[in-house]
Amino acid sequence: MNKDVPVLRVQDLTKHFPAGRGKVVHAVDNVSFQIPRGKTFGLVGESGCGKSTCARTIIRIYEPTGGKVYLGHDDISILSQKELLPHRQRMQMIFQDPYASLNARMTVHDIIAEPLRAHGVFASRQEESERVNDMLAQVGLNREHASRYAHEFSGGQRQRVGIARALIIHPELVICDEPISALDVSIQAQIVNMLRKFQQEQALTYLFIAHDLSMVRYVSDEVGVMYLGQLVETCAADEIYATPLHPYTQGLLAAIPIPDPKVAREKRAAGLEGDLPSPIDPPSGCRFHTRCPHATERCKAEVPSLKDVGAGHCVACHLIND
Amino acid sequence: MNNRWERVSLSQEESERIFRKARSFAGDVWFRFRRKPTALLGLILALLMVLFGLIGPFMTPYNYSQQETKLANIPPLMTVYPGPDDSYFFVTEALKVIEVDPEGHLVRQLRKKEDDAKHKQTSFKYDDDTSVVLDYSIKPYVMLDEYGQRIEQGVRKWNASHLLGTDHLGRDILTRLMYGARISLMVAFIAATVNMLIGILYGGVSGYLGGRTDAIMMRVVDIIATIPLTLYVILIKVCLDDGLISIIVALSSVYWVDMARVVRGQVLSLKNQEFVLAARTIGSSTKNILLRHLIPNAMGPILVTVTMLIPSAIFMEAFMSFIGIGIAPPMASLGTMCNDATEALRTNPYQLFLPAIAICIIMFAFNFIGDGLRDALDPKLKK
Repeated sequence: MNKDVPVLRVQDLTKHFPAGRGKVVHAVDNVSFQIPRGKTFGLVGESGCGKSTCARTIIRIYEPTGGKVYLGHDDISILSQKELLPHRQRMQMIFQDPYASLNARMTVHDIIAEPLRAHGVFASRQEESERVNDMLAQVGLNREHASRYAHEFSGGQRQRVGIARALIIHPELVICDEPISALDVSIQAQIVNMLRKFQQEQALTYLFIAHDLSMVRYVSDEVGVMYLGQLVETCAADEIYATPLHPYTQGLLAAIPIPDPKVAREKRAAGLEGDLPSPIDPPSGCRFHTRCPHATERCKAEVPSLKDVGAGHCVACHLIND
Repeated sequence: MNNRWERVSLSQEESERIFRKARSFAGDVWFRFRRKPTALLGLILALLMVLFGLIGPFMTPYNYSQQETKLANIPPLMTVYPGPDDSYFFVTEALKVIEVDPEGHLVRQLRKKEDDAKHKQTSFKYDDDTSVVLDYSIKPYVMLDEYGQRIEQGVRKWNASHLLGTDHLGRDILTRLMYGARISLMVAFIAATVNMLIGILYGGVSGYLGGRTDAIMMRVVDIIATIPLTLYVILIKVCLDDGLISIIVALSSVYWVDMARVVRGQVLSLKNQEFVLAARTIGSSTKNILLRHLIPNAMGPILVTVTMLIPSAIFMEAFMSFIGIGIAPPMASLGTMCNDATEALRTNPYQLFLPAIAICIIMFAFNFIGDGLRDALDPKLKK
């Protein structure tokens, strides 16, 4: 495959949910980004901003309302579930809750072998077993663990089982939906390092969803900030710390706890205020104008578009774009 | 002393070790189930009833339809008159005299020697020399020996030939109870299995597909459920022939609605859990998702519903047989036995009590099991 073609290209992806009485939840609106091979795209935002919906729409747990999703050359957003089946091998997902994402009635062996069986990779049980044991070793578990049930494992071990399940059929794209937010801090590092190790070994492409900006900076090459279903800023991971442009990104960064109390006291004022508005009836114009300290009349009336302000740094804000 | 706070190095192997005993889901459930005495009692009773119904008929010399009218209505505990040579006499309701040996076996019926209608006395021949006389000129009747001396009644003997007595046609009640229990359990298990299959399939499909399909399928269930199920069963039964199969058809075609609702509810709550979403992103087929993910995880409530369905199916069969649209005679069913016994309730109450007790035991047993299973399957009660 051509190296220049991004592994994942999302174009104007939109997902609306019916909310009854003709109302619509605008979960994801016109989100566009792309991820080159072997890179990680970090998607951050508050709870309820549509990160997970975006991921689930890409992998077609939800049917997109509009927009296109290209996996390599193929537009997978127009395929039926049946036509999509062969492409499912190429993208896998790691879930947030290691307790809910593993079937309690299946052994770890069966859980990890499920993708192999679904795609008929191996004809014989023996080959399958070898591959599963090999995968277990790669995630730091051993073959005795294969016959155990998921509820016997700790959170970190379960999440590694989830990773093994996602990686066993060698996907190109792995969507990590907050894979570490349910884990202890010490385990988080372990899991993230494991994900990085696999990325280097197999040139994996990650879509990494998190609400923890500091962790996202560590794992991502590029970061996208979402607010109320829309991408408001995308740029290289380091740059988002150095020069955050969108007022929302600045607010998010200000909300990161600072270990030094002196510095923390000086910075407190800049934090975000107010709650996330309802996605059923999103604010007009720029969706952030209800909480933005710099909002003008224009922000209420006109929707800002995501524009490149230089060196691949894109922002959707009237104040910056002019 | 060395430094007690020295760091202990832990190998990778050791830090990943699981100390907990490996135990499968079924093992876990059994572990909790057996700690509940009522549940265990229910299980033992149910197993005993199953053995009683399955093996019992092979252990008895009688048959469910074998009649012996001269031995009709003999109770399990007989009040007998002492006779010559260690023998005893038992007088039946029809004023027949039966010889009973010391162990309580019914030996033979004494031949009538002379019927003196004038004195209201009947003499029965014991052997060539001796005879006994039944004097029914006074009430209640008395037994006289051949010299006219009154024989005192007073010895009670357990009926060794028919342990639980005989019914109005002289059929052995114990044997008929065995066949009755067999029919009840068979009806219950087949109806429960069929209901489980239909219910799981219907509820599973309805819950998994959701949306409009779900709405239509559940309205069908609602319509079936609004009319009392008993009425359906009776109507279906009236249209079909008598017999076991039609009872099973009648029960199976109606009782699955509860199961369908339970399964649908479970599937609805499970299908959006992450492990099911994971299976979908993996690309597992719908069949696999239903059979390997959804139904095994819904198995707890399904099992409880089934064990609760068994007693109601047993009761329904007994009820239908009781009102005369169930099992066709002469086949024994607990319900028909109760029905037969109502006519002679005042004189022979044991004929009603015995099958009634059998129904109670079976229903108790399965209710206890269902109760115990519900607790054992509830992960919140896990210790």
